[in-house]
Amino acid sequence: MIPGLVKLLLFQALGELVSNFVIPFIPGPVIGLVLLLTFLVIRNRLPSDIDTVGSTILQHLGLLFIPASVGVILYLPILKANAWAVLGTLCVSVVATIAVTGGLLKLIAGERDET
Amino acid sequence: MKHSLPPMAEIWVYLSGNPLFALVLTLSAYWLGVTLYERSQRNPIANPVLIAVLIVASVVGVLDIPYEKYFEGAQFVHFMLGTATVSLAIPIYKSWASLRGRFALLLLALLAGGVTSVAVALAMADLFDLNAALVGGLYAKSVTAPIAMGIAERIQVSPTLTAVYAVVTGVLGAVLGRFVMDAMGMRQWWQRGFALGVASHGIGTSRAFSVHPEAGTYASLGMGMHGVLGAVILPSVVNWLRS
Repeated sequence: MIPGLVKLLLFQALGELVSNFVIPFIPGPVIGLVLLLTFLVIRNRLPSDIDTVGSTILQHLGLLFIPASVGVILYLPILKANAWAVLGTLCVSVVATIAVTGGLLKLIAGERDET
Repeated sequence: MKHSLPPMAEIWVYLSGNPLFALVLTLSAYWLGVTLYERSQRNPIANPVLIAVLIVASVVGVLDIPYEKYFEGAQFVHFMLGTATVSLAIPIYKSWASLRGRFALLLLALLAGGVTSVAVALAMADLFDLNAALVGGLYAKSVTAPIAMGIAERIQVSPTLTAVYAVVTGVLGAVLGRFVMDAMGMRQWWQRGFALGVASHGIGTSRAFSVHPEAGTYASLGMGMHGVLGAVILPSVVNWLRS
């Protein structure tokens, strides 16, 4: 478990370095993601230690953004006043996104089942 | 002989000043959330994060703990977000094999979906007369929360609002997606999965996995591609929109 964690942290650190000194507008972890993906594609193999640790973390991805989300209490009064506007906006937007993404795939690829 | 207990207030001052309190609270709220989610046969409305945030926010509110104080303790959990983001390379790599020449098409669909997500959200915010202080969180809300918060910091909007919108968007997409896609007559699992992953990231993806493995694979691909592309493109788009 430790080797996998160390490798993930190394990619994260590398990403932070690149983000800090080369491409500041992209968050470090995202650069780390791209670097790790490139590494995996070049090696054409997923080391089991990285898989074990990474997949475990991803399984509980939701847990990790609880601390930041609890900050919603700071916005409570203004959110309450705008509750329906927020829900309506998010609702219409997500439905439109699904319809456009899926609709385009259906339009171009049609019902062909290539699997 | 009776031992005299220290007064409750003293115990409380000690506990609430300790990072352990925020950690235990966060983890047990999540644990309870996951338990309820499993009990509900993984109904997307019983989202574990939503439940946990409600619990933690209520406890923190009732006990009158300042948010900064809570976050100080919970930041150990928060810190893992970066590592989790790096780990997203794993599902993308795994679904790479099933791409089979569909990459260009998927990229096109993703771009269309991503633009729709932001454009429709901004238009609706305008239509519903949403308070200007709440609009900033909309830009990255269809991107998976860990990356969305990174983007939010880059474009100087609230990571908290972005995360909350992202979770709500995920739940709404997971609940409504099926009806939208049925109405459109979409039958291909890969198309349904990808659309769900692009629109409602992690929560949509776990929903897709629970319906069909192929849908899940494509959903995690959609979520991953949206995360990377969002991080690369969104900051410039937002700057352009603001200028």
